[in-house]
Amino acid sequence: MAQYNLDRLAILLVEDNSYIRSLLHTALKALGIGTVKTAKEGGEAIEFIKLVQSNPVKAGIMSIDMIISNWQMSPVDGSMFLRWVRRHKESTDRFVPFVMLTGYADEDKVAEARDLGVTEMLAKPFSVDTVANKVLQVIERPRQFVHTSNYFGPDRRRQVLPYHGDDRRKLKETDEAVEVVYDSAGA
Amino acid sequence: MTAPAPRKQVKVRFYRLRSRLKEKCSGGNVKAGETGSLAAEALAKAEAEFEKVAEDYPDWVGGYLGALYKEFEAVKPRAADMRLPNFHRINQLAHELKGQGGTFGYPLITTFGKSLYDATVGQCGTTDNHVEILKAHIDAMQAVIKGRVKGEGGEIGAELLKSLQSAIEKYSKAAG
Repeated sequence: MAQYNLDRLAILLVEDNSYIRSLLHTALKALGIGTVKTAKEGGEAIEFIKLVQSNPVKAGIMSIDMIISNWQMSPVDGSMFLRWVRRHKESTDRFVPFVMLTGYADEDKVAEARDLGVTEMLAKPFSVDTVANKVLQVIERPRQFVHTSNYFGPDRRRQVLPYHGDDRRKLKETDEAVEVVYDSAGA
Repeated sequence: MTAPAPRKQVKVRFYRLRSRLKEKCSGGNVKAGETGSLAAEALAKAEAEFEKVAEDYPDWVGGYLGALYKEFEAVKPRAADMRLPNFHRINQLAHELKGQGGTFGYPLITTFGKSLYDATVGQCGTTDNHVEILKAHIDAMQAVIKGRVKGEGGEIGAELLKSLQSAIEKYSKAAG
């Protein structure tokens, strides 16, 4: 199988725990990721994202390809940070893949992150393999983005499964109220 | 003169963007429609680096266990109805510990951390018996780290788990 070359990839890693941050930084670099920038919490990460936009030379990167962020941090936690990335007018790339690192395993927390527009969840405790697989998944399986009055983020339906009940979806792709946006090279 | 067509009200927008990350990482090796992999050497290197950093875990986690013990010492003299904030601080520490242990080769820390997390979440009990349950968890985690009980810990691990479960059972019954 052909191999990816990750040396052009830039990741922003946001983790308040210095030991975990150092461990993840080391592992991501060893996987071959070219640039791994770090922040200690969501607020610092937001300032860094703004710096990338205003002064990429000072930031040391031109763009951020992926964010890996812890959930539980202070003062700005992972969910507040994700909300800013997906919804705030000052966010410079609302489509950036966002991987949430968390020890929360309960369904309502997963649903909360999904509804805020998370791309993937990475459960703690993690291993090198789970981190590598998650990075690979983000590279290989991008999803379309959906924008409605109350959601902006990756399509929450990951797969098309056969469904035999009533179709309760109000809109179809061909309806006037639905718009499909492609970028220059199409999907 | 014809009236301009009414502007359509878009309710849902789908953005289908090309896969820039795949393009960026393929390096010409992975063709569109194909799947790729990460280099086995890179994975092995990452694993080795990971192990190296993980060796310091017992020293480093001592800070968390110390903080847990400090909260436990603070909670003991307080009246039961004043203890909830301490229990919640312990809950945050337990959340961290349950997320770490397995990563660093100490799954028993994750098991005990999760049990402590569950014992201190929300409107948990805060009687003296519940304080004893806290202590049993802290003791069990300290034993794991002091004894460098990695993995499931064999007989020692099983014994620690059994002792913790008996303590939980005993003090839960006493708490009613």
